[in-house]
Amino acid sequence: MSQIETFYDVMRRQGITRRSFMKYCSLTAAALGLGPSFVPKIAHAMETKPRTPVIWVHGLECTCCSESFIRAAHPLAKDVVLSMISLDYDDTLMAAAGHAAEAALMDTIEKYKGNYILAVEGNPPLNEDGMFCITGGKPFVEKLRMAAKDAKAIISWGACASYGCVQAAAPNPTQATPVHKVITDKPIIKVPGCPPIAEVMTGVITYMLTFDRLPELDRQGRPAMFYSQRIHDKCYRRPHFDAGQFVEAWDDENARKGYCLYKMGCKGPTTYNACSTIRWNEGVSFPIQSGHGCIGCSEDGFWDQGSFYNRLTNVKQFGIEANADQIGTAAAGVVGGAIAVHAAVSALKKAQKKSQDKVEG
Amino acid sequence: MTGTPIPEGTILRPDPATSPAYEAARLTGDATAEDLESIRKRTSVYVYEAPVRLWHWINAACILVLIVSGYFIGAPLPSMQIGEPVEQFVMGYIRFAHFAAGMILTAAFAGRIYWGLMGNHHARQLFYVPVWKARWWKEMFFELRWYAFLEREPKKYIGHNPLAQLAMFFFMTLGLSFMIVTGWALYAEGAGQGSLPDTAFGWVLGLVQNSQRLHTLHHLGMWAIVIFTMIHIYAAIREDIMSRQSMVSTMISGHRTFKDDRPD
Amino acid sequence: MGNQTPNGFTLDTSGKRIVVDPVTRIEGHMRCEVNVNDQGIITNAVSTGTMWRGLEVILKGRDPRDAWAFTERICGVCTGTHALTSVRAVEDALGITIPDNANSIRNIMQLNLQIHDHIVHFYHLHALDWVNPVNALRADPKATSELQQAVSPSHPLSSPGYFRDVQNRLKKFVESGQLGLFKNGYWDNPAYLLPPEADLMATTHYLEALDLQKEIVKVHTVFGGKNPHPNWLVGGVPCPINVHSTGAVGAINMERLNLVSSIIDRCIEFNNNVYIPDVIAIGGFYKNWLYGGGLSSKSVLAYGDIPENANDFSAAQLHLPRGAIVNGNLNEVQDVDVRDPEQIQEFVDHSWYQYGEPGKGLHPWDGVTEPKFELGAATKGTRTNIENLDESAKYSWIKAPRWKGNAMEVGPLARYIVGYASGHEDIKNQVEGLLRTMNLPVSALFSTLGRTAARALESEYCGRLQKHFFDKLVQNIKNGDESTANVAKWDPSTWPKEAKGVGMTEAPRGALGHWVKVKDGRIENYQCVVPTTWNGSPRDSAGNIGAFEASLMDTKMERPEEPVEILRTLHSFDPCLACSTH
Ligand code: HEM
Ligand code: HEM
Ligand code: NFV
Ligand code: SF4
Ligand code: SF4
Ligand code: F3S
Ligand SMILES: [Mg+2]
Repeated sequence: MSQIETFYDVMRRQGITRRSFMKYCSLTAAALGLGPSFVPKIAHAMETKPRTPVIWVHGLECTCCSESFIRAAHPLAKDVVLSMISLDYDDTLMAAAGHAAEAALMDTIEKYKGNYILAVEGNPPLNEDGMFCITGGKPFVEKLRMAAKDAKAIISWGACASYGCVQAAAPNPTQATPVHKVITDKPIIKVPGCPPIAEVMTGVITYMLTFDRLPELDRQGRPAMFYSQRIHDKCYRRPHFDAGQFVEAWDDENARKGYCLYKMGCKGPTTYNACSTIRWNEGVSFPIQSGHGCIGCSEDGFWDQGSFYNRLTNVKQFGIEANADQIGTAAAGVVGGAIAVHAAVSALKKAQKKSQDKVEG
Repeated sequence: MTGTPIPEGTILRPDPATSPAYEAARLTGDATAEDLESIRKRTSVYVYEAPVRLWHWINAACILVLIVSGYFIGAPLPSMQIGEPVEQFVMGYIRFAHFAAGMILTAAFAGRIYWGLMGNHHARQLFYVPVWKARWWKEMFFELRWYAFLEREPKKYIGHNPLAQLAMFFFMTLGLSFMIVTGWALYAEGAGQGSLPDTAFGWVLGLVQNSQRLHTLHHLGMWAIVIFTMIHIYAAIREDIMSRQSMVSTMISGHRTFKDDRPD
Repeated sequence: MGNQTPNGFTLDTSGKRIVVDPVTRIEGHMRCEVNVNDQGIITNAVSTGTMWRGLEVILKGRDPRDAWAFTERICGVCTGTHALTSVRAVEDALGITIPDNANSIRNIMQLNLQIHDHIVHFYHLHALDWVNPVNALRADPKATSELQQAVSPSHPLSSPGYFRDVQNRLKKFVESGQLGLFKNGYWDNPAYLLPPEADLMATTHYLEALDLQKEIVKVHTVFGGKNPHPNWLVGGVPCPINVHSTGAVGAINMERLNLVSSIIDRCIEFNNNVYIPDVIAIGGFYKNWLYGGGLSSKSVLAYGDIPENANDFSAAQLHLPRGAIVNGNLNEVQDVDVRDPEQIQEFVDHSWYQYGEPGKGLHPWDGVTEPKFELGAATKGTRTNIENLDESAKYSWIKAPRWKGNAMEVGPLARYIVGYASGHEDIKNQVEGLLRTMNLPVSALFSTLGRTAARALESEYCGRLQKHFFDKLVQNIKNGDESTANVAKWDPSTWPKEAKGVGMTEAPRGALGHWVKVKDGRIENYQCVVPTTWNGSPRDSAGNIGAFEASLMDTKMERPEEPVEILRTLHSFDPCLACSTH
């Protein structure tokens, strides 16, 4: 077998000089808490390491995560696939089909045991023995388990793999289940969003390749670097929010001036994502900039929090459906009424007692 | 009233050997031996020490601010065009008021817990419900019957009556804790990951998974507090008028006085 | 031992059974089984949708104004087209009209999707059926440059150095031994006919198109905030327009319009300089591979789309044609009425669903989606390890929609046949031009290649239409109309107690319809009949086979164990399985 394009080659091809490569290696050593004596070792590893194999499997999904991925501008999707990773299996894009495709999968698993990254788009359904998603005649969940067994780490792409997404919305007829509830013995990096931003996807992958470690995760298992702040915390319409200047109806005067979309149901205050900073499609815009509120697409269960256009979440309980204020005013109304009646009866009783006491006394 | 009329000015001193004096108060676990001794001699008892009273009114003020500002956070006022956003800060002030009141409320509540440990016996009543005491249950049902107009006359209590204690425990001790925990968890979202509020309360968001749910829980909590406040104020005034002991003035002076000197 | 289907195909299951699962380079999960005789000719075809998510079930009881977001997630490839169909259905039910600007913007977005989807399909999902990237390593860059300049003189990226760079990169990639997506491809199969230079040119365009497609979608980003899955709105579009006054930067303003306009120009350029010339050049080498016609010469269906004026869906006002052709009678383009309970019906006798009454077809307004997974008695393997399906029983998650009882093909080719037969001027000119250039008869249209060519022509046509609606939008703004949404019936209290509506579009893969019933402000029933539901449909109760199945019939396979030909023909439909079953 001839020469393998290594990480070093990739960096060189990206215009990085030998000098900055070595500097990068020493920074990496420092970041990993290693002494200067490790620098040559790291450099050697980078110079000889083959591209990291990635297996990308698909469950119940809409494939917009793949679509998003190919929109990446920096790095370009083609550079990721040709030079940074080795995308050895991805049924959406690969040339081979059927047996030949399955053989490619098995081959990579065998050859790179413990060294490949498993990327999961979509999720496995568990109802009907898993047969709501069949690949190769078998339930997808089997393929997922098989591919996960020898993976170094797992990336859960999008809301589907991370949380279940639309097919897991009530009543979740297929029992679509997020990856971390099926695979419990591997590090899992959730990259939620419906879909996630392209550059966030490539950012997570290149981070892992560049720094040779998993990104720091927040409490919910998402890379803190992209998901630690809410849309609302960095939204450019935030001054209008603080001022109390809101769009009151679609296409009103305030909408045309770009006021805050809070009253139109914007979920920016409850959504952790990088849309208001990195923005979409090479920074062209993001939902709020284009006039529609955020629908919270990177949040767990965002489909089941009531209408996207309600500021207050609808609560479905005991067959009734209302928001907190409707429930609260109704309850307070009942209590207020009860108090009024009680007060009236009390006054009556007191008057009665008085006259009685008088009679008796 | 039956029997021989008691001459004016007589202080009734029941014989402990024959009369179950203040049985209700004693056996619900509230009245201490000193209280009983004291009540034999005087008609007023020092119940709420100054820190409790101070807390009560600070807490009440904070809650009113939190309810009003919280409501408008959930359903903002109509947009105003006072000026450009740099000059205008309507929502910002409402949120500021909410957070400031929330912080005072939290600190005051912590102080109240401290006083629960340091203060007199009555200062502890807020923090527990003596469900293990049969007599407490009995008096609770008595109090329920009183509110349902099934008893002719209420009993005397030194601290809270059992029903009030139950309500205070659930709506205040638990309710306020819930509001403080969820409130700070919401605050932690804005303060950012790694901040102190996040370190202390960030786990709450992890527990409910979705910030929208957290908002909803906090918001529903507000309505529970609103309902408590309505009932509480009504009951305080009603009891002031209809019960045999002082109410509102007790929360001001700290002294419980009684309108008659019959035992129980 | 042949078995005649009502729609005119002879099925013979005596030959060897071949299974392709997964079918790759499609959206979603699909399985295909065929029988081939000893000459390698396909005598029976079985296509199966192997996923189901239950969106129609999930939508019940929800706010109809939210439905677009749910249905949009039916597919991220034809992203937005379901959302558009959904807002149309809800507007139809509730009697909501939209402003002119909203119509123009929606059309621009829908056309933009057509172009994007067609280009990505051709280069990234379909090309490897015709193009051999490994063979490209043997190309002479200089000769490739000459070829490029010959087929498309105005394409600027054509120097020998450019092709050499690409080739070197490819070489390095192949030599690394890590073949990635190209691993286990059928690169020495004799079905590949291109000379190395054409392979290099096409492989280069694979990369060029990959770079370009991310630019195309920025039109969605401007109007809808992101792509995939831009935002839509019942009653109009969510993006306000403000080009003249204070705060314009908070809305669609001059800068945004300029961005859209520049992308529209780039689409047109790429279609003219790369896409169309490639299809002609590659098609030229496969001219004699005329398999895959299937239903296209018999029964095709289109709902029509791209209304010139807001709220007017009459056939004459649609830029993409409406109509149905049955039994290959090009002289009669029949009227399509999606509200007529007798015209469109879905059957589930061979699908993993159940109705109360077997053998019955249901119009979507009365549609029922109740899963029932069961395998036929002749299935080989087990319930969770299927070796061969039994197509005489239930065998797919796709329902079987029929138009007046006929299995129909939908998609670019269907639209172009309907357009051609009904004398649609743009379409007729394009088709005749292409046939003339390639020196082919009309009958050549009814084939795998015809399907692929129609898609390219449509991309070109949509590019021009996109410009038309952009100009219209600007003109309307110039006339003083900046409105983008009608909120008169935004509030559910203004809605009737009960209502039903239907929305139609021409999605990239064909005719798409959503039928909705609203009751007490909530969705009572929601049914989607999707392009790939039509094309990928299994057999119906009468035994008609679906469009995929029909198209595979009688194809000769060079090497039956290497399904290049099956992939070629299936890919020519651009199957979307997430769409088909939803
Ligand atoms: C937001 C409003 C209020 C809240 C949350 C509140 C809460 C409380 C709490 C927690 C206690 C128990 C004190 C302890 O044991 O430490 C209490 C007692 C009391 N409060 Fe309030 N209070 C409120 C307003 C008021 C008002 C407006 C009045 C007067 C009209 C009042 C009258 C009293 C009285 C009389 C007691 C003593 C009850 C007893 O002796 O059993 N409160 N309140
Ligand atoms: C009696 C106590 C409290 C009441 C009645 C109350 C009420 C409310 C209400 C109704 C909301 C609006 C929720 C929504 O619909 O989004 C809210 C939000 C909030 N509250 Fe409270 N709250 C209380 C205590 C606290 C405390 C102790 C804190 C801690 C500092 C706090 C911090 C917050 C924060 C950070 C928000 C979110 C503000 C935003 O989204 O802009 N609250 N509160
Ligand atoms: N079939 C289909 Fe779609 C399209 N085009 C939708 O309607 O692909 Ni995902
Ligand atoms: S997460 Fe959303 S975008 Fe990604 S595949 Fe699932 S539905 Fe599509
Ligand atoms: S538009 Fe949404 S995210 Fe932005 S400030 Fe308003 S509520 Fe927050
Ligand atoms: S809807 Fe999704 S794309 Fe971003 S702005 Fe909200 S998280
Ligand atoms: Mg359907």
